[in-house]
Amino acid sequence: MGAKSFGHYQQISQCFDELVQADGQIRPPAAAIARFIDRHGSAELIQRQEQLNQTISAMGVCFTLYSDGNNIDRCWPLDVMPRTIPSSEWQKTSAGLKQRLAALNLFIDDLYHDQRILKDGIVPADLVLDSRNYLAPCKGISPRYGVWANICGTDLVRDGSGQFLVLEDNLRVPSGVSYMLENRTVMKRVFPELFADSFIYPVDDYPHQLWRMLASLSPRPGDVPCIVLLTPGVYNSAYFEHSFLAQQMGVELAENTDLLVQDDIVYLKTLHGLQRVDVIYRRVDDVFIDPQAFRPDSVLGIPGLIKAWAKGNVSIANAPGSGVADDKVIYAYVPQIINYYLGEQPLIDNVPTYLCLDPKQRDYVLANLDQLVVKPANESGGYGILIGPRSTKAEQQQMAEAIKANPRNFIAQPTLALSTAPTLCDGVLEPRHLDLRPFILQGRDLYCTTGGLSRVALKKGSLVVNSSQGGGSKDTWIINDEV
Amino acid sequence: MLLKSLDHIFWLGRYLERLDDTARLINATSHLLIDSHKDSQFSWSLLLDVLGQNSVELLSQLPASDLTLEQQVMGFLITDASSQVSIRAACSALKQNARTVRQLIPRDMWEELNSLDLFLQEHCQQLQGRQHRYKLMTEVSRRCQMVVGVLDGTMLRSDAFDLFNIGRHLERADMTTRIMDVMVLQQLQPTDIKRPRFRWTSILNALGGVESYHYYLAHQNTEVDAVDYLLTYADFPRSIAYCLHRVAASAKALPHGAAILQRVWQLQDLLKTQNLAELTTGQLHQLIDQLQTGIIELHQVISTPSIEFSSELSQQMSA
Repeated sequence: MGAKSFGHYQQISQCFDELVQADGQIRPPAAAIARFIDRHGSAELIQRQEQLNQTISAMGVCFTLYSDGNNIDRCWPLDVMPRTIPSSEWQKTSAGLKQRLAALNLFIDDLYHDQRILKDGIVPADLVLDSRNYLAPCKGISPRYGVWANICGTDLVRDGSGQFLVLEDNLRVPSGVSYMLENRTVMKRVFPELFADSFIYPVDDYPHQLWRMLASLSPRPGDVPCIVLLTPGVYNSAYFEHSFLAQQMGVELAENTDLLVQDDIVYLKTLHGLQRVDVIYRRVDDVFIDPQAFRPDSVLGIPGLIKAWAKGNVSIANAPGSGVADDKVIYAYVPQIINYYLGEQPLIDNVPTYLCLDPKQRDYVLANLDQLVVKPANESGGYGILIGPRSTKAEQQQMAEAIKANPRNFIAQPTLALSTAPTLCDGVLEPRHLDLRPFILQGRDLYCTTGGLSRVALKKGSLVVNSSQGGGSKDTWIINDEV
Repeated sequence: MLLKSLDHIFWLGRYLERLDDTARLINATSHLLIDSHKDSQFSWSLLLDVLGQNSVELLSQLPASDLTLEQQVMGFLITDASSQVSIRAACSALKQNARTVRQLIPRDMWEELNSLDLFLQEHCQQLQGRQHRYKLMTEVSRRCQMVVGVLDGTMLRSDAFDLFNIGRHLERADMTTRIMDVMVLQQLQPTDIKRPRFRWTSILNALGGVESYHYYLAHQNTEVDAVDYLLTYADFPRSIAYCLHRVAASAKALPHGAAILQRVWQLQDLLKTQNLAELTTGQLHQLIDQLQTGIIELHQVISTPSIEFSSELSQQMSA
C-alpha cells in the first residue's frame, strides 16, 4: 500500500505526517481510510465532505465570530479526513497529561498556601506573586481534594521527529470539547462503514465524566448535587459549547443574574423558587465572577460568590486563581514543577522555551526574532503572536520594543516543524499543520479524553489553528493497535 | 428549570404554532381566493387583517411597483424579515428562543428546528408563484409538525414541556379567534337580530378541520354552524374549547398553575354560560372580543409568575 492512496500527496519535508510515513507508506492506523479512498476514489471523498458540511449545518454546530461589532454564527469547519493515532502511543500520552495536571494542581495549591516551591527557589517568587493571575484573595482557601484546575485543555504538537510536546496548558476556561464530541457524531453519520471497519475508541463518555467530576466536588456529598454551568450569555463566542454541555450533562445553564448569594450560600432562581447550588462550572473568567472580590466593574459577576466559595459552601470549577499556572512564563518551569512535587520526570516534554525576563535569553531572542515564535504570556486565541520567519522587519521591530518594555510578559520558542495530515483542500489532499487539544479532568479522580480536538491550519503553510483565525478541525481517531 | 427560561420556552411553543398556522392560513386562503371570482368580497389583504395588521395602512405605504396585490401581501406574510407577521420573522424568533433554552430541548428536536430554519432561509427569500408557494407552505407546516412529533417522543415531561404546550395551544386559540373575527364576523355586520346560520366552511380549511366539521354536523341534535364548532367543540383540536382544556391540563403542575387555571375557567365559563345559537351578531362580536382580551390576560398570567426570592424563603430551603 503506497501513498498513492492519497493521490499525489506531497509531504512537507522535515515534518512528521500523521497518516503517511516518511517513506510514503500509509501508517497502519490509517489503513482503513486508505482502503476506502482506494476503493471509492477521491470523487467520493469530495462528496462525503459535502455531505459532512450539510450534516454540520443541520446539526447546528457553529461558533460565533465577532466582526464589525456583530456576532455572526459560522458553521464549524471540519475536514473529512480524520487524524489517526495508535492507542499504544495514546496511552503514554494520556498518562503524561494526567501527570502534568496533577503536578500543576499541587503547584497551585502550594502557591495559595505555604509557597514551598518559591521558598525552595525552584520558581522565582516575583514571577508568581507579581503575576496578574495570582489572586491574593484566594490565599488560604482549600478547594476539595486540593484541586484547583479541574478542567484542563492541554495543547499538544509534534516536532519533526513525531514526538508529542506540550505547547501550552489552558487552565482558565478551556473550550473546544463540544466540537470534539460533535466532530465524532458527524463522522459516524458520514462514514458509517469506516467505523464498522476499524476499532476506533469512542469519545462520547466525556459529558458523563465531566458531570461525575463536578459532582465529586459537591460540598454536600450524599445529596443529589445541584450543578450549574455559568455562561457569560448567549452572545459569548463559546455559547454553543456552554449550551451543548449543559444539555448533555442535564444541568442548568445559568447567567450571573440567575444566581444570588444569601448568607454565604449560592442559590439558583428557578421556577419553583430558590434552589441551593453546590457546584458551579464557570465559563466566565475568574476575575469577573464576583465584583466584591475582584473587579468592581464586572457586570458578569455574582456579588458574594467568592466568600461563599471560601467558606466551602459551594465549589467552583476551575477554582478562581487557578489561572496562575496558565501563564506562558510559568509554563517554562513545568518540568521542574513535575519533578519537585511528584519526584518524576515529565512523560511529555515542553517545547524549548526562552524566557525574556532572563537577560541572556532575552538577548538571544532579540537577536533571533526572525527565527523564533514570540508569545505574550497571557493571551489566548492565538492573538499577539509573532511568527518570526513569516513576519516583516517592522513587525519584528515592534515586538522588540514590546519585549524591552515588559520582558516578563514574553517568551519565545523555536519555530516548530509542526506535524501535518492530509486535508481536503479544493478537492485535493494536501498536508496541513495541526495540533491536538485533549481535555483532562481532575476531581476525586483523574481522567483524560480519548484523543481530543485536532485543530488544523487550513491556509497553506500556516501554523495558526484557531477557528477565529481561519483554522479548521479534524476528528481524532485513537485506533486500537494492541489487539 | 430557571425562572428566566419560562418565557423562552413558552414563546418557543407560540412561535412554532404561529409558523404552522400562518402557513396553513396562506394555503387555505389561496385556495379560497383562487376558487372565487373577481366579484368576491374577500381580497388578499384580508390575510393581513387576520394577523392583526392594518392592511390599508400597510399597503398604502408600499412604493409603487409592478407587484400584484397578492404578491405584495405574500411579501408581508412570507419573505419580508422585517414584517412582524412573516414566516421568516416567526422562524428567526423561533430560532432565537431555541438557542436560549437549548439545554432544555432534546437533541433531535434541536436538529429539527435547525433544519426548519435552514429550509426557510433557503426557500423563503423570494416570492414564488402560486404552485410553488402551495408546496412551500405545506412543507413549512409539515416541518413544524415534525418538531412537535420529535418533542413529543423525546422530551422529558417537565415544566419546560408543559410550558411549550401551553404556548402552542394559547397561540392556536389566539389564531382561531383571529380567523373568526376577520373571516367570519366581518361578513356579519353587528346587528341586534339573531345571527343567520353561518355555513361557510371554506375557512375551516385554514384550520385543517373540514372533515371533522362534517362529522360534527352529523352528530349534533340541534342546528349548529362553524361558529359553534370553532368555539365549543372540544374534540376538535383547533377549537377554543380544546385549546383551553389543553392549557389547563398542562398548567396543573406549574408553581403558578392555580392562577392560570383560574383564568382558563373564566374563559371556559364565558363559552358555557351563553347560548350561542341565541346570540345576535353584535353579541357574538362582543364575545370574540372578550375571548381575545382573555387570551392576552392569560398570556400575562403565564409569563409572570409571582415568585419571591426573599431571604426568608432561602433560609427555609437551605434548612
